[in-house]
Amino acid sequence: MAQPRVLVIGGGLAGLSATMRLAELGVQVDLVSLVPVKRSHSVCAQGGINSVNSLTRQQGDNEWKHFDDTVYGGDFLQHQPPVKEMADWGPRIVDLMDRLGVPFNRTPEGFRDQRRFGGTLFKRTAFAGATTGQQLLYSLDEQVRRWEVEGKVKKWEFWDFLEPVLDDAGRCRGAICQDLVTMQFRAFPADAVIIATGGCGLLFGRSTMSMVCNGSAVSRAYRAGAWYGNGEFIQVHPTAIPGADKLRLMSESARGEGGRVWVPKTPHDPRDPRDIPESERSYFLEERYPKYGNLVPRDIATREIFDICTNEGLSVEKDRLCVYLDLTHVPRETLDRKLGGILEIYEKFQGVDPRVVPMKIFPAVHYSMGGLWVDYEKSSTGGLVEGSPRNQQTNIPGLYAIGECDYQYHGANRLGANSLLSCIFSGLFCAPGVIASCDSGGKKAAEESSRLFDSGLRREEERHRALLVRTAGDENPYDLHQQLGNLMTRVATVVRRNDQLAAAYAEVCSLEERWRRCAVSDSGNWTNQNVVFTKSLGDMFPLAKLVLKGALQRDECRGAHYKPDFAMPGIHATDPVEKRREAEAWCDRFEANTRRWLKSTVAACGPGGEPEISYQDVDTSLTPPRPRLYGLVGGEEIEDVWKERQNAATVGGNAHKGPAAFAGATG
Amino acid sequence: MIRSVESTGHHDGGQPSQSPADHGGNGHSAPQRFVRVRILRQDAPGEESYWERFEIPYVANMNVISILQQVAAQAKSRDGRRVAPVAWDCNCLEEVCGSCTMLINGRTRMACSALVDRLLDESADEIELRPMSKFPVVRDLVVDRGRLFHSLERVKAWVPVDDSYDHGPGPRISPENQEDAYPLATCISCGCCLEACPQFTKIELVRREDESADDFEARRTAAFDAGFVGAHAISQAMLFNGHPTGKMIADERLTALTAQGGIQMCGNAQNCVAVCPKSIPLTRSIARAGRAATVWAIRKIFDR
Amino acid sequence: MTANDPSQSFLARHQFLIYRLFSLAGLMPVGAFLVVHLLTNASVLAGPGVFQSRVDMIHSLGPLLVPIEWAFIFLPMLFHAVVGFVIIANGLPNVGSYSYVGNVRYTLQRATGMIAFVFIIWHITQLHWLGTPFGGGRFDPHHATSSAAVVLRPLLITILYAVGILSTVFHFSNGLWTLGITWGLWTSPGAMRRANWISIMVGVLLGGAGLGALGGMRSVDVEQAKVIETRMEDVKRMLEGGQSPLESSPSHGQAPAVHTSETAAPVVPTSGSVPRTPSGG
Repeated sequence: MAQPRVLVIGGGLAGLSATMRLAELGVQVDLVSLVPVKRSHSVCAQGGINSVNSLTRQQGDNEWKHFDDTVYGGDFLQHQPPVKEMADWGPRIVDLMDRLGVPFNRTPEGFRDQRRFGGTLFKRTAFAGATTGQQLLYSLDEQVRRWEVEGKVKKWEFWDFLEPVLDDAGRCRGAICQDLVTMQFRAFPADAVIIATGGCGLLFGRSTMSMVCNGSAVSRAYRAGAWYGNGEFIQVHPTAIPGADKLRLMSESARGEGGRVWVPKTPHDPRDPRDIPESERSYFLEERYPKYGNLVPRDIATREIFDICTNEGLSVEKDRLCVYLDLTHVPRETLDRKLGGILEIYEKFQGVDPRVVPMKIFPAVHYSMGGLWVDYEKSSTGGLVEGSPRNQQTNIPGLYAIGECDYQYHGANRLGANSLLSCIFSGLFCAPGVIASCDSGGKKAAEESSRLFDSGLRREEERHRALLVRTAGDENPYDLHQQLGNLMTRVATVVRRNDQLAAAYAEVCSLEERWRRCAVSDSGNWTNQNVVFTKSLGDMFPLAKLVLKGALQRDECRGAHYKPDFAMPGIHATDPVEKRREAEAWCDRFEANTRRWLKSTVAACGPGGEPEISYQDVDTSLTPPRPRLYGLVGGEEIEDVWKERQNAATVGGNAHKGPAAFAGATG
Repeated sequence: MIRSVESTGHHDGGQPSQSPADHGGNGHSAPQRFVRVRILRQDAPGEESYWERFEIPYVANMNVISILQQVAAQAKSRDGRRVAPVAWDCNCLEEVCGSCTMLINGRTRMACSALVDRLLDESADEIELRPMSKFPVVRDLVVDRGRLFHSLERVKAWVPVDDSYDHGPGPRISPENQEDAYPLATCISCGCCLEACPQFTKIELVRREDESADDFEARRTAAFDAGFVGAHAISQAMLFNGHPTGKMIADERLTALTAQGGIQMCGNAQNCVAVCPKSIPLTRSIARAGRAATVWAIRKIFDR
Repeated sequence: MTANDPSQSFLARHQFLIYRLFSLAGLMPVGAFLVVHLLTNASVLAGPGVFQSRVDMIHSLGPLLVPIEWAFIFLPMLFHAVVGFVIIANGLPNVGSYSYVGNVRYTLQRATGMIAFVFIIWHITQLHWLGTPFGGGRFDPHHATSSAAVVLRPLLITILYAVGILSTVFHFSNGLWTLGITWGLWTSPGAMRRANWISIMVGVLLGGAGLGALGGMRSVDVEQAKVIETRMEDVKRMLEGGQSPLESSPSHGQAPAVHTSETAAPVVPTSGSVPRTPSGG
C-alpha cells in the first residue's frame, strides 16, 4: 500500500505543528502557503501562551480551572470536551516548545517566567519578550525545515489553495492550488487535507490581522460544502493604532500603567491635545465607570470608545475615528522601563513620541472565534479520544481544519494567550487522527484516477481565465474591498443592531453583484497579484454574509456579540425584597436565554451561495453555563440567587458532572 | 515632493476607511496634497527594468505600504496611462514578518515602517522604490529570497530534538543566557543584512531549456552552497550553538560555517548591523563565530 | 555576479584555511615587518649614524638575508596580495548607498590595499636590488641615509611616498582591528570599540614613524651623512680585522669602488654598478 500523503494548507502555528507531527509519524506532507511559512500571521502574537504550570499548580491551579476560565471567558459557547483536552495538553505543549528552543523569559533560577493575563487569577502565561507568537512559530518553522531536509516535507510557498477535490462519495481526495509566481495550476492528490489558514480579518478591511488573513481558503472550503460555525463571533481589541494600511495593536498594559482615555469635549477640537485644558476634556471611561476607570473589561472599553466616536460624534479627528490614550503624565523613566517596547512600536509607525504627545487609538478587529465547523470524539473521561479520525474533521470526510480557522475552542470570546495554545494543540493533536482517516479512506489518493482532479483543474482554470478577461468592467476591486470593510466594521463589530445588519446584508449582496463587474487592471499571467486579490475578494462575500446573517439571527448578547436591544441590564432596586425579585427575574431570563441561544451557529453554503443557518446544541457536560456578572450593577444579588438555584439543582440530582469527575480524568 | 493642488472635482482611490466624509466631492474642498513616487519595475525575470512614476494623494502618517496600496488601487501612472498594478510582497505590516523589504530612497528597509513624512525629509522631490538588488527579481518589487532560507538549512538552524512527544521541560536556562539569545531569535529573515553586505552578491541562475526542474534545482542549490551564507545565518548558528540542546550539533554548524562561503567571506564592513531593522547584534554573532571557528580549527588539529 | 563554480575545487574546499592564512599573513610576518621597517627608518631622525647602525645590524645576517627576505617578506606579501585581490574582486562596495563608518573603512581597506600593493612594488623597484634591472635598486646599505635621501628628495616622490606609507599604515592598523573580529579576539560591540582605539593608536604611531622617516630623509644633509657613513664603514672594517668590506658584505663582490671613495663623487651610481643588497631595514 502506498504511503499516506497529507496536504496542509497554511504554515502558521497550527499548520506547522501538524506538519511536524505528521512528518514525525512517517507521513509525507505537502505544505502549501501564501507566504513563506516563517512570515505567517502567527508572528504577530505578542502576549504569551497559557498553561497550568508547577508554580500555579501549587497555588491551587489545575487543568480544570484553566478549562473553566476558558469556557467562562467564552460565555460557554464552545463544546467542552475539546477545551478540556486542550487545557490538559497545555503543560505538555509549553514544555515541548521550551525544548524546541523558544527563548521564554526566565526566572533568576532558570525556570520559565510566567505572567498573569486577563480572565484568570493565576500566572499561567509563559512568554518570550513581546514576541511570543513569533518565537513559537520560528521554533516550529525550524523543525519543519529539518523535516524538509530529511525529505518528509515539501513546501509550496507562494501557492494559493483554490478548492478541495471531493470524490463521488464526498470524501476529500486532495486540492487544486495555484502557483502565485507562474500562475500555473496544479492538483495535489492527498489522503487528507488540513486547512490551517487562520482568521478572516480582511472582511473588515483593516484589522490587526496580516494581509494573508483574507479567509479565502476557508471560504473556498465552505463553498465546497464544509460548514462554518459561530461566524458572528469576532473579537475586537479596544486599543489599536489606526493606520492608513493596517490597525496595529496597542497592548492593554498601556492602560495598566496609568494610561487615561479621553476625548475633547468639542468635536474634532483642532488644538494640540497638550493645549486642551482639563476642563475641556472628557475622560469618559473614568466618568462612566468610576470603580474600574480606564481598566474596564476589554469588551466594555471597546464599546464605550466606539460609542463616543460614532454615536456622540466626539472622535478626535474628523475623517478618522480615534480617541486619545494619554501617558504623558506618567514619568518618562517609568514608561521606558515598563512600556518601552510597545511605545517604540507607536513611535516607529506613527512618528510621534507617545511619551510627549497623547496616542490616538481606536478598537480594531482582532480575532475570529468562529471558523470551519469541526467534529470531535468525546472520551469517557470527558476529553477527546486521541487518534480518532473525527477530531478536527470538518463535515467533509478527509478535510480537516485547525487553528484560528476552526470554530472549536474559544466560544463567544477568546481569552488572551489562549490562541497560541489552541493553534499548537489542534495541530499536534489532530495528526494521529488524520493518519487514521488516511488509512480508512480506501485506495490512496495517488492511485485515484486523474479524471477526478482534471475537472477541478479545469474549473479553476476557467474561473481564473474568466477574471483575466474582465478588463473592461467599471468596478475597482480595491475600492470594493474598502467599501466592504467599512460596511462590516460599521455594523458587525462592536455594536450590532438588527436593522443595520439586515440592510448590510442587502448591501453585501449588491457589492457582490458589483464585484462581478470588476475590472482586472493586470491581465498578465506572471505574479499577477491583481487577479489573485480580486479572486480572494470574491471569496469574502460568502463569509461576510454568514457573519451578518448569524449576527442578525442571534437575538442576545454573548461574549463579543453585543446587541443593545437584547442586553440584560443589571438590577437597580434598593429595597431588599424588590432587589431579590429583580434578581430572580434576571436569573429566569438568563435561563430562558441559555435554553434558546446556547447553541453553535452552523452555516452551510446554499445553492445560491446564501448561508443556510442551523443551530446545534453545545456540549456543556463538564460544567454548566453560569452568568458572567463582571461589572454588572447588582451582580452580587444575582450571584446569590444563581448559587441557590444551582445548589437546589444538585440536591435534586440534576447536577452536571463537576470537577470531581474531571479530576479523575486528568490523573 | 508634496504638492498641493485644487481638487478638480473627483479623484480616484477611496476615501479614508472609517469616514464616509469625502472632501473631494464638490470642487470647493481643501487642497489635496500628493506624494510622488518612482518605482523601478520589471515585468518578469530576464526582462528589462524600467521606471514608472506615480502620484498618490497624501494621507497623514502614511507609509510606503499605503502608497503601494494606492498604486494598486488606481493602477494609473502619473501621466494618466493605465498600467498594471505594481507587484510587491507584504504581510504583517508591523515589521515582524519580514516580507516587505525593498530599496527605499536607495537604502534597504521595510516598507511598512518607512514613513512617508520622513522619506520626504530625505528626498523632498520624489520617493524612490527599487527591488532588492541581491536577489533575483520575480516581478517589480518582488524578489526571490529562497537563498536566504536555504542558508538556514546550511547552518542547521534548529534544535535537534528527538521527537515532539512529552519529555518534560527543556533545559534550565539562566536569564542572562535568555537575554543574550532572545535578540538573535527575533531575526525576521527580511534580508536587509544581506542586501547591504558588500560581500554578499547576487546569484541568479536561469533554467536551461534542456534542463529538468530537479536538475535546475540541484544546480541552484549547489550555487547557493558556494555563495556567502550571510550574516543572518551566521547569527542563527550562534543562537543554536548557545542553546544547551542546540549545541549538541555545534560541530556540524561550525563545519558548515567554515565550508565554502562560510564566515571567512565576511569583510567586516558591518553594514549588516547598521541596517538591521530589529537591531540584532549581528557583528557580535560574526565575531563569536570567528572565535568558535578559531578554537574549533585548533582543536581539530590537535585532537586528531 | 554569477555563482562560484559548484564543483568543489581545491580552493573552494580550503577557502576558510586560505582566508585565515591570508588574515594571519597580514599580521605576521608582513605586518610585523612593516612595523620594524617603519621604526627602523624613523631612526634617521636620530641622525644618519643611528640609522646606518640599524641597517648594518640587519645586514649582519649576511647571506641568510636573501632567503629570510623571501620566506618572511616577499612570499607572504605576495600571498596576501593575491588573495586580497580575489577578495576585492568578489566584493561589491556600496559606500554610496550605505555611508556608515564601518563601510567606509571596508572600502578604504580595499583601496589602501591596492595603493599599498602598487606602492610597495614601486618602492622595491626603486630601492631594492631586485629593481636594478629596471633602473632602480638605488639603496646602498653602506650609505643608507644618503642613498635613500637622494632618492626621496624630489617633492613629487615625497608626496607619493607619503600617500603610500599612509595607505599601508591604514591598511595595517585597520586590518589589525578586523583581524581581531575575524579570529574572535574582540566580539562584543564594547570590545570592538576598545580594540578600535588600539588600532587607531597603532595607526597614528606608525603613520607618525613613517612620515617622520620621510621627513627625516628630506631634512638630512647628504654630504654630512655620507661622511658619517664612510667613517662608520671604516670603523667597521677595522673591527673586522682589516677585511675588505666587499668580502663581508652579502653582496657578490661586484660593488664598485664608490664605497671606499673619500671624494664627493655622485652618490647615485649608474645602473649596473649598484650594490646588490637587500632593502634597508
